[in-house]
Amino acid sequence: MVRHIAGHAAQALLLLVGVVIAIFCLLQLIPGDPVQAMVGDMPVPPALRAALEQRFHLNEPFLDRLFGYLSNVVHGDLGYSMNYRRPVIDILAERFPRTLLLAGAGYGFGILIGIAIGIHSAVTPHRSVDRGWSGLVLIGYAMPTFWVGQLLVIVFSIQLGWLPTQGMGPMISRAEGVDWLLERATYLVLPVATYTILETTRVARFMRASVAETLEQGYIVTARQKGLSRHEIIRGHVVRNSILPVITVMGYSFGTAMGGAVLLETVFSYPGVGSLMVEAVRARDTQVIVGVVILIACSVVVMNIVVDLLYAWLDPRIRVAAAPR
Amino acid sequence: MSVPLDLVRRLFATRFGGAGVIILLAISVLSIFAPWFASSGPTDIGAPSLQPPSWQHPFGTDSLGRDVRSVLLFAGRSSLTIGFCAAAMAFLIGGTIGALAGYFRGPLAAVLLRVTDLFHTLPAIIIVLFSVSLLGASFWLQVAAVALAIWPIEARLVYGQFITLSEREFVLAARAAGLSTGHVIFREILPNALPTVIVQVALDASTAILIEAGLGFLGLSDPAVPSWGEMLNRGQEFLELAWWMSVFPGMAICIAVLGFNLFADGVTEMFNPRASAVPPKLDG
Repeated sequence: MVRHIAGHAAQALLLLVGVVIAIFCLLQLIPGDPVQAMVGDMPVPPALRAALEQRFHLNEPFLDRLFGYLSNVVHGDLGYSMNYRRPVIDILAERFPRTLLLAGAGYGFGILIGIAIGIHSAVTPHRSVDRGWSGLVLIGYAMPTFWVGQLLVIVFSIQLGWLPTQGMGPMISRAEGVDWLLERATYLVLPVATYTILETTRVARFMRASVAETLEQGYIVTARQKGLSRHEIIRGHVVRNSILPVITVMGYSFGTAMGGAVLLETVFSYPGVGSLMVEAVRARDTQVIVGVVILIACSVVVMNIVVDLLYAWLDPRIRVAAAPR
Repeated sequence: MSVPLDLVRRLFATRFGGAGVIILLAISVLSIFAPWFASSGPTDIGAPSLQPPSWQHPFGTDSLGRDVRSVLLFAGRSSLTIGFCAAAMAFLIGGTIGALAGYFRGPLAAVLLRVTDLFHTLPAIIIVLFSVSLLGASFWLQVAAVALAIWPIEARLVYGQFITLSEREFVLAARAAGLSTGHVIFREILPNALPTVIVQVALDASTAILIEAGLGFLGLSDPAVPSWGEMLNRGQEFLELAWWMSVFPGMAICIAVLGFNLFADGVTEMFNPRASAVPPKLDG
């Protein structure tokens, strides 16, 4: 078991190093002279050029620069943002928890609701109910996430005026304690709801297919012949077995949720990592872009390890097979 | 000629396949022959701005006084082109890599699969943003960027197909008969992998349209080419004044994506009636 997880973790770590190396190599491909880019549209005096090259190790051999870069990343030095005039790691540390809150909440709700819809859709005796869910899910699946966000804003903020359109909180707030929390929460409702819709459709589709397959297995027939009630069969046999494939996809799906942050945070002007990435792309703030990419890669890899653990915990077959002999 | 006709008939016999084909045909015709259906060109700014939907402008007019329906029709061209071309490119890159890895195995496969994993770790939109920020956003670079983001799924799928199919009797027989590697790959394995691959290409096209929409929405697509995503970017600014600027382009994207997904669903059901659910699209 431990060895199984350790093996996967080692692989994941290698993958991360690979991502960083790939990004570094891609950065070398940018056309143009880096010194000129730093100075801007001005002639560069040879002395300044030499100093800059010295400062940023531009003249060292490729491999030396690569290792220097890798060791910087390992030490948490992701460079300096020219746009924000702050170290990249500080900006990320400030913004990542917000994204995690938003994506995590939507992801969590979405998985729960999606699993429920998937099960209901697969086990319901009424064809029309199944059709209805499947149709809804198909349409939800085809909608661009950020557009769902826009629609919710049009309906709930602009037409009905129930919820704020954007941001993380009011500019000026006198609320304290619980009121303050509630005030903050109203700003989270729409973005989290959008995330939830996205995640729900994804999970529901999967879950429905998985449950449908489980229902055809021999042990379900056996359980039925043993005289177990419908409820007992679903809870004891169907859910647990059908959830496994869904969990496998969750790791990758988390990456997509992080990617979705880029668009959703822009719709709601939510100051997380996603909107940071967009601002950085607009401002050509390369260090920040690279920082966000590395951070997202890290979170996906960590999530994959979590999924591995979860999978091993839920599926005794893996636990036993991976046990040291 | 009778074989394709038969295939079409079988596709229309599935639950969703026919609807998918009809949607795809309809939106293709509407955008290819956009001038016939539009009341003005995509850049004509004659009408009063920010008019709500009316008989004269069924989808309203935008902030610049353009007829939203007309812009929508012309923008469909670039959105659909990105869908088709990015999917085709992803298929070429991913298919080649998957086929090489699956047929030759060994160290080559190990290296190729690691590279695929590397790309697979990052969400597609992040890869696209990263490459656009490095290389700029002209239309064809954008297509390439989207293809770069979605090929890993294709590579894995083709790899899997090659691994299973190359163990089958007919492939072993072809090899034993001394047929060339090219013959075995293109005449024996590929045709049998095709149904699965077509499904994935269709899903890739829908993913590509969604990614383009995202990119356009962020205002990072080619500014010279109108697209549905770019229309939504403009709409975001006027969300409070003109809902029609956002609602209709979004619907267009939704319908196009739905068309590709239903088509994929139909093809899956046609070749594999038990598993009628579309394999999940993992991005957008």
